[in-house]
Amino acid sequence: MFRSIRISLCLVLAILASKATAENNSPVTIVSPWEIASYDPAVSGFATQKLEIMENLVDADAKGTLRHSLATAWTVSNDGLVWEFMLREGVKFHDGSDFNAAAAVFSLTRSWNQPGVLKKAPIENILARNGKLIVQLKKPFTALPAFLAHASTIIIAKSAFTTEDKPSSFIGTGPFMVSAYTPPQSISLIRNEAYWGAKAHLKNVTYLAASRAETRALLAESGDADIVFTLDAPGYSHLKTVNKTETFAVPIPRVVVLKVNAGHSFFNDPRARQALSLAVPREGIARVITRFPETSANQLFPPALKNWHATDIEPLNTDIDAAKLLLAELGWVAGADGILTRGQERFSITLRTFPDRPELPLIATVLQSQWREVGIELEVSVGNYSEIPAGHQDGSLDVALYARNYGLTPDPIGSVLQDFGKGGGDWGAMGWENDQVVDVLKTISTTTDDELRKENIAMAVQILQQELPVIPVVWYQHTVAVNKKLRGVIIDPLQRSYGLSEMYWAD
Amino acid sequence: MKSLFKSVLEVALARGLQAIIVAIIVGIVSFLMMQALPGDAAYRIAAGRYGYDLMDSAAAEAVRLELGLDNPWFFQLWSWLGQLAQFDLGNSLVYGTPVIDNIVIQLGYSLLLAGCAIATSLLIAIPVGIITGLRPNGLLDQSTLGLSIFLRAIPAFALGIVLVMVFAVQLKLFPVAGFRGFESFILPSFTLGIGLAAVSNRVVRDAVSDAMSSNWQLFARTKGLSMRATLICHVIRNASLPVVTYLGVQLAYLIEGVVIVETVFAWPGIGHALVHAIFGRDIAMVQGTALTLGLLYVALNLCVDLACRSIDQRGGGI
Amino acid sequence: MPNTLSKIKRSRLIGYLLIICLAIAAIIGPELIDKDPAKQSLFSILQAPSLEHPLGTDHLGRDMAARLLSGAQLSLSLAFLSVITAGLPGTLLGLIAARFGGWTDRILGAFADSVMALPGLLLVLMLVAISPGSWWALYVGISLTLWVEYFRYTRQRARIVLAEPSVEASQMLGLGSWLLLRRHLLPEIGPGILTIAAFGAATAVTAVAALGFISVGIRPPTAEWGGMMTELLPYWREAPFLILQPIICLVVTVLALHLTVGDARRP
Repeated sequence: MFRSIRISLCLVLAILASKATAENNSPVTIVSPWEIASYDPAVSGFATQKLEIMENLVDADAKGTLRHSLATAWTVSNDGLVWEFMLREGVKFHDGSDFNAAAAVFSLTRSWNQPGVLKKAPIENILARNGKLIVQLKKPFTALPAFLAHASTIIIAKSAFTTEDKPSSFIGTGPFMVSAYTPPQSISLIRNEAYWGAKAHLKNVTYLAASRAETRALLAESGDADIVFTLDAPGYSHLKTVNKTETFAVPIPRVVVLKVNAGHSFFNDPRARQALSLAVPREGIARVITRFPETSANQLFPPALKNWHATDIEPLNTDIDAAKLLLAELGWVAGADGILTRGQERFSITLRTFPDRPELPLIATVLQSQWREVGIELEVSVGNYSEIPAGHQDGSLDVALYARNYGLTPDPIGSVLQDFGKGGGDWGAMGWENDQVVDVLKTISTTTDDELRKENIAMAVQILQQELPVIPVVWYQHTVAVNKKLRGVIIDPLQRSYGLSEMYWAD
Repeated sequence: MKSLFKSVLEVALARGLQAIIVAIIVGIVSFLMMQALPGDAAYRIAAGRYGYDLMDSAAAEAVRLELGLDNPWFFQLWSWLGQLAQFDLGNSLVYGTPVIDNIVIQLGYSLLLAGCAIATSLLIAIPVGIITGLRPNGLLDQSTLGLSIFLRAIPAFALGIVLVMVFAVQLKLFPVAGFRGFESFILPSFTLGIGLAAVSNRVVRDAVSDAMSSNWQLFARTKGLSMRATLICHVIRNASLPVVTYLGVQLAYLIEGVVIVETVFAWPGIGHALVHAIFGRDIAMVQGTALTLGLLYVALNLCVDLACRSIDQRGGGI
Repeated sequence: MPNTLSKIKRSRLIGYLLIICLAIAAIIGPELIDKDPAKQSLFSILQAPSLEHPLGTDHLGRDMAARLLSGAQLSLSLAFLSVITAGLPGTLLGLIAARFGGWTDRILGAFADSVMALPGLLLVLMLVAISPGSWWALYVGISLTLWVEYFRYTRQRARIVLAEPSVEASQMLGLGSWLLLRRHLLPEIGPGILTIAAFGAATAVTAVAALGFISVGIRPPTAEWGGMMTELLPYWREAPFLILQPIICLVVTVLALHLTVGDARRP
């Protein structure tokens, strides 16, 4: 408490003095909605990876092609069950300790024991042998390297944890090190002069979390922030007109979807789900709410996921009358108040969503109004997003609205398996299982034959389009505003890095 | 001297009791919040902890075991209140870090904001009050009355929004949010300060005008003291008691305002943390921050009480 | 002096008139305008006032006038009900405490002090946090916060009145409690109670809006002024006249309630 008073007094003097000094060495300020809550990598791993404090064994470029990072090469045995990773030499953690096989084993074993992607991979054991990292699998799994690029598998030094295994600092191998951390809102970085690769140009970086979209837009406009992510539609529209900043909208593999409980008596017939889909005013939502008309999702996977986006598929569209017809086919009849009834049943359901992404409650409100015209009474419950997996588990969910990231690993098969594999998934299908899809997904995740893969992917996409266990609404556009004087800014559609090490100030 | 000590003791006891009551109320309400979480507390907590894309039911089960969420309610309430009594605020259910650590940082920011707001309000209210009090019912007095009534009717958050829109954005004078140094203080403290000053300037005005028209003032003037000396020595000292007392009345408004204004300006203080915690269903943080705010309120009340007592003693009492 | 007196009377008159207008608007307004406050039209969002929509449309194409009136209904009825729920028991308990004194007085006093230990909004915030978005939680929370002032005021004044010789005389004459109440107490405490009621209503309206603003109170799509402010904030640059509307409604309502009281000093 007194420290913060002292800091602010110093800042008074510093601000007054520093206003005149040159800009070139000034820190770059990055703003995004997400807080860095604690040292725990399960919580802050995404952030520390993006800020290039931590690195993975495997990296990916903007197109999703895997690259070497802390692992210089990898091989797999003939039966596909044993993977060997050759590790980079001469790498040191920020505290000076060595990066080696033992460190890699420690870090990955820790990730494996916590909720994360490694739990979804059929791993038997992780160990070190002859200075290499060995991963033993129960079943073949071609996506393993891709999983090792995920934020939950970042490599952290053992010294970052106390003897009771409590995370107590940020110690990684990346081009930036932590100089100050004020949880949960801000973290300050300085360049790692002992980095194993090309050093970053920037010397200082400050990251700030600002949860309100208006605040972020204002920070960009006033110049208090140099890079701002996740702007809302009005903020983005305005920043396009501001001279100081340049705006980008990058399509990413995230999709706003409607999860439907296919086990519910209202939705167990695919025609009911198709009716719901026909009643989603995608064009209106894309045009008015998110203001990217081209993101109206006529299929599940966006163009950003090149291999999974189908060019020759029957698109989903909006047709209220067709929706009404389909529901009539299923025995629904409009009651006196306009709400559909079927015998004793009344078409009244609850949609669960959350406010963390500002578009979601808005889209839910639009759906509520539109579905009423079809005769569906929708109650919108805006709460904590954990109510969605909770509702999935106990069967109490009707429909849910959220934004699913299919590109969590560079190859979407990871997320797709999670969502549409056997038994469905918390963030995927509910009460719906299709044997053909299960087989197809298995083939995709184990085969190395590209042609076979393509065929099966096309099959999976086709089935999902017709069965609609999950109904796409709009594809996401990642909006960014950047200070024009900042160069070398690359926006990563896979959202794995802010690209800080490539940035520099224009002279 | 003895009577001063006695009155201080009285005040301290009364406020001490109030502090205990605050703790009990906050404790029980927090517990009710925990029980009333629709669906599953374990799910919420796990979700807050692990983030969007990694959250699943296995994580929730782990949390359920870890926090013992299956015990019957009276056991939980008992251990809950027991923990509170030992000053154990637990760990944030969302961040996993000790609540006390977070609060200590945030309290500093809130105190800064509250302090600046009070200072701002006094800086505005006292000069305005004195000037209008010296010339009661004049034009200036009437117009300040009208302005005061108007400003008092504007809720703090609405005022904050308008000020941000005008000053931070249109005129680009001040930073918009957060805590980035000295300039960040200005808008939030002004928002809160103006709301306080809108009423307290009238209190000053009334106290000054009363003091000016009272007998001893005439007496001092006849003694030969100039207007200025009279003002400084007598009027202000006698007018200060109602002002300080009124500050005590305004403390509730101050604490409430801190919560709202911090949210509008994303000021990283206790109020902001409380609202955040309510959304995240982070019951431990809700309890911790609400308790801190409540105790802050009691502490400030205590300061005002003591200040009143000491002014009372010096001024010869009323 | 008479100048100021008539000025005070004038402002009180304005206050009362405004309140009556607001009440009328809240009661019959929604019927009169006959538009569904929840009806959206994605093709006509953020529109300026027109014949069709006298106050324009919001970011989802909903009619602003209908939403404001619906919000007025919500805020005013909540305020009115809370004031009644707080005022009647509060005054009654104050009278009882004053009349009977002793332990009754002490216990009731302690209870009142406990409730006052926390600042009002904080208490309401915590109670509402138990089930956010619930009308009942707001209503109970606000009533709980407001009743104390009635209790304290009534107790203090009634004590004084009951000790007066005229009251003793009436008692000796055998006049029952009811007459005591009417003839002695009510004239004494009446105006003060009305003042407290006005400020209480203003507090209630502000609290509802504040909680709606931080999205802990009444939730969309129900129209509520505070919630509307939050919803419209992102669009303040594109359509500033929109966000000003609920702000103006709120300020006018609170101002009107404050004006009905003659004294600008009371908190």
